[in-house]
Amino acid sequence: MSTEVKLRSYILESYLFSDDQSLLDNADSFMEKGILDSTGIMEVIFYLEDEFGIQVEDEEMVPENLDSINNILAFLDSKK
Amino acid sequence: MKDLLLNLHEQVVLHSLRYAVIQGDQRVTYRELWHQIEAIAERLRNGGLKPNDGVALLMENSAQYIAAYFAVWHIGGYVVALNTSLKVRELANLISHCEAKLVLHDVRAKELSSLSELIGDSSQLQALQVEFKEGAAEDSKNYVAPDKPDMHALASVIYTSGTTGHPKGVMLSRKNLQSNTNSIIKYLSLTSGDKVMCVLPFFYSYGNSVMHTHLAVGATLVLENSFLYPNKVLQVMEQEEVTGFSGVPTTYSLLLARTKLQNYKLPKLRYVTQAGGAMAPKAIEQIQVFWQQTRFFVMYGQTEASARLTYLKPERLKEKLGSAGCAIPDVELKIVDEQGCDVAIGTQGEVCARGDNVMLGYLHDPEETAKTVVGGWLKTGDVGYLDSEGYLFLVGRNKEMIKSGAHRIAPVEIEEIIREHDKVAEVAIVGVADELLGQVIKAFVVLKENKGIEKRDLMRFFKERLPQYKIPKSIEFINDLPKTASGKVKKHQLVN
Repeated sequence: MSTEVKLRSYILESYLFSDDQSLLDNADSFMEKGILDSTGIMEVIFYLEDEFGIQVEDEEMVPENLDSINNILAFLDSKK
Repeated sequence: MKDLLLNLHEQVVLHSLRYAVIQGDQRVTYRELWHQIEAIAERLRNGGLKPNDGVALLMENSAQYIAAYFAVWHIGGYVVALNTSLKVRELANLISHCEAKLVLHDVRAKELSSLSELIGDSSQLQALQVEFKEGAAEDSKNYVAPDKPDMHALASVIYTSGTTGHPKGVMLSRKNLQSNTNSIIKYLSLTSGDKVMCVLPFFYSYGNSVMHTHLAVGATLVLENSFLYPNKVLQVMEQEEVTGFSGVPTTYSLLLARTKLQNYKLPKLRYVTQAGGAMAPKAIEQIQVFWQQTRFFVMYGQTEASARLTYLKPERLKEKLGSAGCAIPDVELKIVDEQGCDVAIGTQGEVCARGDNVMLGYLHDPEETAKTVVGGWLKTGDVGYLDSEGYLFLVGRNKEMIKSGAHRIAPVEIEEIIREHDKVAEVAIVGVADELLGQVIKAFVVLKENKGIEKRDLMRFFKERLPQYKIPKSIEFINDLPKTASGKVKKHQLVN
């Protein structure tokens, strides 16, 4: 399963409670769409750390890295 | 101090080129803000709005929110600022309840079309989108002062969660807001040189008071509408060299847990304020390790008091840690027993307060008003005691409310929604302790016989009907709810 598919399934399943792919665009801002709240973003970080074996530093917790599927994919890429 | 709109006009004359609002790349001067207020007021008048009419605001924090707010006052109307995260059904209920003639909104037009469908054709309600037109202000020294208002007329309705599940509309007058604003300015020693980072929504009374107090002195509001990424907020605080910051306990927990505060240089940060629930003394001490030159103000209040009732002087913080402080200027406090009689110093009872900041009452609810404001004293519903120096120590609330982050949530509001699910027999909503948010919502659900349902299906049901902050963080299916002999759910047993 590709990183994108894994990530999309996780967000859809955990925060939109659905497998309907049309509910989430890769460019959708989690903040603006109200998909994640303060605890949700922490859960996403833990998920990224466990699933992809990366370490998210405090200063990396910014919207540019985490606020959409696209942003997370680019962030994961930069950590390779 | 004058009325807050007249006072704002005075600030415009005094500091026309000073920034009133900074948000991202947008910088709005007092002069531009005033022109926007006049322009929106003109549109409202032309649209047939009259003094004493209600106007709902459905907008995120922004310069246009502020312009819309004061434009409504400019025509002598009252503002009903609505929580922008509410779903359409709740919004429709509130708009009907407050009898708003118009909804001023920002770009979230999608919600609005569903809203008009829900309210129906019979309503006279109209919607108007407000945009901030930059560079529209002409340089003019003839800023026309608005008319003197009726200080005791209804000026603002702020909805708070009620224990019955129906939000209560707290009615505030211009006098209420002016009085409280004035007291806060005094104890925070605010001046036109201040620049505050505001992450609190203006539609709640804490954010509303941050807006009023800083505009009243000609200071600058730096706005960030999300605290999801606290590092971003700190970056802006550093760039803008802010002098002030306001937050609820969760705001500070997030700063401590997710940022390296020592990496951000904030040499001008003069004061920070904290309200919206008790903050752990340890967390206050940790914040002070990083912000040693900054005065930390612990405060307490409620919407019914316009915002603020007490504050703890920073110089007494160490000595009185755990106290909510003493009464702010122009407010009196007392503690009463169940019969309403004053109790001795050090004795616990219900906290009551009196002052010009105490609300006019609850909208369309004289019965609840009569129970809450008795002989001019506001019965807060909070339990506490005063020490010999008049410092208030809160020991608990006698109302069943969940405090999660900046939100107060009545369990019954969520229970009513869940009961609508055809597979749910019974439900109990409780608040369980959470390190970050203070409390989070947990649902205990009893299903109807032979009606299996996945947690995920129930969560989706919530997501469609409840704003994010009211969605339970966890669900537990149980066979029966523990109850007393009279059939009342023993929630304390579920929490434990």
